Amino acid sequence: MRSEWRTRELVPALAQFVVLALVIANFGFQIDSRNAPAIAPGVLWMALVFAGLVAFGRAFAAEREQSSLEAMLMTPASPAAIFAGKALAAALLLVLCEAVLLPALALFFSVPLSLEVVSAVLLATVGMAVLGCLFAAMVARVRARELLLPLLTLPLWIPFIVFGGQAVQVAMGGGGGAGNASGLLIDLDILFVVLTSLVARFVLDD
Amino acid sequence: MSVIVAASLTQRFGSEVGLDGVDLDVDAGEHLAVLGDNGAGKTTLLRILATAARPTSGRIEIFGLNATIERRRLRGVIGFVAHAPGLYPALSAAENLEFYCTLQGVDRGRVAEVLELVGLAELAHRPADKLSRGAQQRLAIGRAVLHDPKLLVLDEPDASLDSGGADLLARVMRGRTAVIATHDHALANRLCQRSLMLRRGRVVGVPTRLRVVH
Repeated sequence: MRSEWRTRELVPALAQFVVLALVIANFGFQIDSRNAPAIAPGVLWMALVFAGLVAFGRAFAAEREQSSLEAMLMTPASPAAIFAGKALAAALLLVLCEAVLLPALALFFSVPLSLEVVSAVLLATVGMAVLGCLFAAMVARVRARELLLPLLTLPLWIPFIVFGGQAVQVAMGGGGGAGNASGLLIDLDILFVVLTSLVARFVLDD
Repeated sequence: MSVIVAASLTQRFGSEVGLDGVDLDVDAGEHLAVLGDNGAGKTTLLRILATAARPTSGRIEIFGLNATIERRRLRGVIGFVAHAPGLYPALSAAENLEFYCTLQGVDRGRVAEVLELVGLAELAHRPADKLSRGAQQRLAIGRAVLHDPKLLVLDEPDASLDSGGADLLARVMRGRTAVIATHDHALANRLCQRSLMLRRGRVVGVPTRLRVVH
């Protein structure tokens, strides 16, 4: 995070990207007060998914370019702890991106920005971050990593997009039965945090 | 007492053989030079000794521990300088070491001491990407001794170092067991008691006792 703060490589680019995505969506769809709550969640998750792919694609960039991952692994620190640190940093980058995305979404689409919307997005971010970081670590040493990362990550992000989308749609007054979308997001978060911390050692160190 | 005991170490990369049945015995406090041309298997051997890689077959014990199983325990007593310096370019020299202090569980007070040891005290606050290649290598050596390891594994540490590099290496190796890969026979002669010649992954001849100058 300190490296990112010094270089300011990723956050301004991601913020610009999500705002541009909203501008394009705003012009591309005929937005009015009736359809905004139905369209806005889709635009939100599209922007978030692609911003996430960029963020996680860069998660191991410094380690790859400078070969510092091996130097980190050559310490007694647990690979799971190193992975957790990387996932946390990547999640924070995504949260910063969301801090720009959500107010911009409310502004462009005139949809309410409630606590329910924010919590659904944050809950999805946890699971998306650990999965994104795991696959980013997996493909970090592969030549076709830019292609492989979305291919591996997107299928496993789908549940977060589905349940996160439901929760956000209901919170924005778009109707539909959300059921217990937030509860399911928590379940998915727990499942993937546990699973990724178990396999992180094999991905990073072997 | 032997610090490193390796028997029949073999490393394959698909059909390529990186290391072919290497036996090794390094005593406590001994400095061993690993010599050989490019592609001889020096880096492969050193990565195994540093626990950065597992051999395809063979047995290796470091400080009496199985180095393919007890990797995390051993990493607390091994310092490794790899080919690439592995630094964070946006962080200063001191910040890079502070970061590794956290990972090593070492007090941050050690940073100033190590920067002094590797001759970078005056460049402590300069970002790593603004350091010369030689200064980056000094920093990588500093990182390797941050936790005061008992065993140093140095893969061509003299690369990019200036004329004071040999003195620096002598300083950091003093009082420690060390294995150093180098192309520089004069440096090996100055720093090490024994040398091992590798060719195409195999040990050539028997380990040679070098003329010890230090």
